[in-house]
Amino acid sequence: MKREDVRNYNGEDGKPAYIIYDGKVYDVTESRLWKKGKHMGRHKAGEDMTSFISMAPHDARVLEKVKYVCDLEDDELVEEKNEKLRAFYRKYHPHPIFIHYPMGILYFGAFMLLLWILTGNKSFELSSYYGLIAGTLSVYPAILSGLLSWYINYEKTLTVIFKNKLIFSGLLVVISTIISVLRIFLGDMLFESNLYYLYIIGYFLTIPVMTFIAYNGGRITWPD
Amino acid sequence: MARLDENLSKQNKVKAIEEMIQIVLLRIPKEVEAMHFYKKAAEKSTTKEAQELFLSLAQQEKGHEAELRRILQDLKEELKNIKGDLS
Ligand code: HEM
Repeated sequence: MKREDVRNYNGEDGKPAYIIYDGKVYDVTESRLWKKGKHMGRHKAGEDMTSFISMAPHDARVLEKVKYVCDLEDDELVEEKNEKLRAFYRKYHPHPIFIHYPMGILYFGAFMLLLWILTGNKSFELSSYYGLIAGTLSVYPAILSGLLSWYINYEKTLTVIFKNKLIFSGLLVVISTIISVLRIFLGDMLFESNLYYLYIIGYFLTIPVMTFIAYNGGRITWPD
Repeated sequence: MARLDENLSKQNKVKAIEEMIQIVLLRIPKEVEAMHFYKKAAEKSTTKEAQELFLSLAQQEKGHEAELRRILQDLKEELKNIKGDLS
């Protein structure tokens, strides 16, 4: 039998109740502890019980008392595939690596911009410009690796924290891209037009936006 | 009015379930990590007793993970049903 075949034997509507344990299929229809395919109000027939055994008040020897049906046909479990992806992610943990770039570079750039405003020294403005370009580009790997982890480790479950991260990441992309485009295409003309204010505000705005995303990231790693 | 109250309490319920989903969700990778750690520790153990202890701890973490996934699934299901009722 294959895993999907076993799923049909859920003990409901008079159907037999089968369970999987450690690659073998067992028939628990006759067991009074599996009435209508339900066990202790939390396990359902048709499913794989292997991982749950350590939570049970009994060990696997209880299976000696029920009818063995057959071995499970080889299948690559979705769960196994996910486990491989998770192992890959754990090994390389790209998100906590990539986030350092936008966080470091945009903070640095904003600080340079502040020094330029305070001192009028053009070198500071140039530094903030380069910081902006590098910082903006580095936002993408940070976001993509975050999405990857969300996909692999959290099955794309949308909770408040992830909503915050997604919305504000989108905002960060929009702001940093707009001000980069302004600075690249207008050059020094930017500082003679009213767009100057947009540029300054946009640049400084990246900091709280990014910090809020990072704060929500920390809430994932260190839940309260 | 009764309908409004009902919807309001349902909205509170939705919020409570959503919070619970987040709590359970964020815990799952921690269990996976713990299981990984105990498995590694078992591999590196120098005595049979230590190895058995670590393997049994790894099994327990696997159980926690499976249990949390089951709870998460149920919560998502419940949320879907309530939201379906609301609209
Ligand atoms: C520029 C954008 C982003 C920044 C600066 C950022 C920053 C952070 C920070 C500081 C952490 C905590 C890291 C640690 O534990 O040391 C974190 C964790 C995390 N973030 Fe982000 N994040 C960004 C975008 C995203 C996006 C778009 C997602 C996906 C929805 C995401 C998903 C995650 C996840 C799942 C974690 C937990 C740690 C992990 O699985 O690697 N992040 N993030």
